[in-house]
Amino acid sequence: MFAVLSPRFRSIENVQNMVDAAAVLAVVTCGITFVLLMGSIDLSAAGVMGASALTVSLLVANNRNDNDLGLLGIGVAVLLGCAFGCLSGLALVLLKVPSFMATLGVSAAGLGVATLMFAGVQPNVSDAMLKGWAIERFLGLSYLTWIAATCILVGWLLQRYTRLGRYAFAIGGAEEVLALSGVRVKPYKVAVFAVAGAFYGLAGVMVTSQLGAGLVQAGSGYDFSAITAAVVGGTLLTGGRGGVLHSAVGVLLVVVLTNGLVQIGVSPYWQGGVEGLIVVAAVAAAVIPQRRRNQVVK
Amino acid sequence: MSTPVALKPAAEAATGDGGPRLGRRLTGFMPLIALLALVVALAIADPGFLTQRSLTAVARTAAPLIVLAAAATLIVLCGGIDLSIAAVASLSTVLLALWLPHLGGLATPAVILAAASIGAVQGVAHVLLRIPSFIVTLGGMSILSAVALVVSGAGTVRVVDDSTVKWLELYVGGYVPMSFVMALVVVALIALALRLTPLRSWISATGYSESAARLAGTPVDLVKIGAFVVSGAGAGFAAIMLVSRQFSGGPTMADNLLLPAVAAIVVGGTAITGGHGSVWRSLAGALVVTLLRVGLPIVGVPSAYEQILYGVIIVIAVTLTLDWSKVSIIK
Repeated sequence: MFAVLSPRFRSIENVQNMVDAAAVLAVVTCGITFVLLMGSIDLSAAGVMGASALTVSLLVANNRNDNDLGLLGIGVAVLLGCAFGCLSGLALVLLKVPSFMATLGVSAAGLGVATLMFAGVQPNVSDAMLKGWAIERFLGLSYLTWIAATCILVGWLLQRYTRLGRYAFAIGGAEEVLALSGVRVKPYKVAVFAVAGAFYGLAGVMVTSQLGAGLVQAGSGYDFSAITAAVVGGTLLTGGRGGVLHSAVGVLLVVVLTNGLVQIGVSPYWQGGVEGLIVVAAVAAAVIPQRRRNQVVK
Repeated sequence: MSTPVALKPAAEAATGDGGPRLGRRLTGFMPLIALLALVVALAIADPGFLTQRSLTAVARTAAPLIVLAAAATLIVLCGGIDLSIAAVASLSTVLLALWLPHLGGLATPAVILAAASIGAVQGVAHVLLRIPSFIVTLGGMSILSAVALVVSGAGTVRVVDDSTVKWLELYVGGYVPMSFVMALVVVALIALALRLTPLRSWISATGYSESAARLAGTPVDLVKIGAFVVSGAGAGFAAIMLVSRQFSGGPTMADNLLLPAVAAIVVGGTAITGGHGSVWRSLAGALVVTLLRVGLPIVGVPSAYEQILYGVIIVIAVTLTLDWSKVSIIK
């Protein structure tokens, strides 16, 4: 539809741009999908990405200190994301804090950590490899896109062939049944949040590569966009349905939609509004068939 | 199966505030204890803290937060949550700044009305479509932020003639800021309305056990929508306080009040699972949060720790106030 409305939309460059723009969102969505499969929700992406963006920009070659850890720095940033994910998961299973509250808290903590590391001076990245990720192309697509594609593949393998992935589905479908049949659910819940955190950590690194600098706001907006993409792709917020590949399709749809709206002349400020409408509409469409049965909704 | 569920709210309502459990008692007084401890600690750390000037400043800072938290408490009492309060308040500051030149004195009620109807729309969506409240309000937050950005042109809207909102900047008796007095009035009005009408038991019943309340004939849907309306109106009023203080409206002006407001509600001891709590608790919670915010720089902690602190406070407070008997599976 957008291809008819705007000739620019059809151009090869625009398709390239869209795929590149989808890269970061795809990685975040990959992570959030596992959490949504369990029927939980994760609002911590913005904070975790901010913290990991600052971490990586301070650990690779930069203008603030003499660190030059290269790949190791990226690894540390991903691990940090993993640790934040662990925190959310532990708060959920040990303290019984609902996931949206726990992850909201973790997001705030992540932003705080990022602000501490930012310390008033923006760290500009001078590491050639990290900067090259966003610029250099391989087969017409940037390295970031290939990383995202790898993430989707890894996510799909995790979901399809590991116990973690299978149990995520089962927890979303019927947690009580799973627990009654002797599965220790709690460690798997924490593990799912940790995996999601690791994906956010990597996404933070990718944003840093795009911007060439570590910013506290690196992840702002991605948490909600990722939920939108996952929901559009057919992953239910009630859990148990969907998957990484569904979400990948959702990411493409969301990116095409936002890009298309800009191309036909809608103000980019509306992007968040469109995403909000999509989420509410998609969730409503999913619950309407069982409206009569579900009388209690909090 | 249904008998204990149905009996519980009745027993709770009969005893008035909370159950007889010691833990409940303790968490009941926790916000006041925390408040006193904070005041004492700050007075020791900085002898100048207990002067009239700094206390006035604290009261002025706390006013919008109190209104936001107290109004949103009703939704939490029903067992839901409103994540859109900050976005509604931001949008309201923009609307107020845009409408003041045209409507003059009518702009204030108009903005509160607009904010209340936004709340009503979200409430209706929550109740009719049966979407969980945090998803509705998360979507609402995103939509309203977009609307605020578009109508304001993504910039600050200056208020040239602020004569109609200036009264909030007056001082009662020369010392107490008018905005703080108004915040107290709002809390008192909500509390009074709850006490004098069946609303209090309706809300509690909805929060403790929605299906039981429905069977007992409580207008659950209307109660929930009403809670959302009050929450929206509160956000609108908080926006008026912000505009009167900053002489402008901005599309992200109130966005950083979401975490403090949620923290204020849970620190006050209102259980996130619904039913247990009150608006007075949120008043105490809002004062605690404001004191922490003001106090951190006094004891020499960089303000970047503020965010981390909110995160930790929310998680801990939710844990302490949670009704563990009610929740077997937490998503």
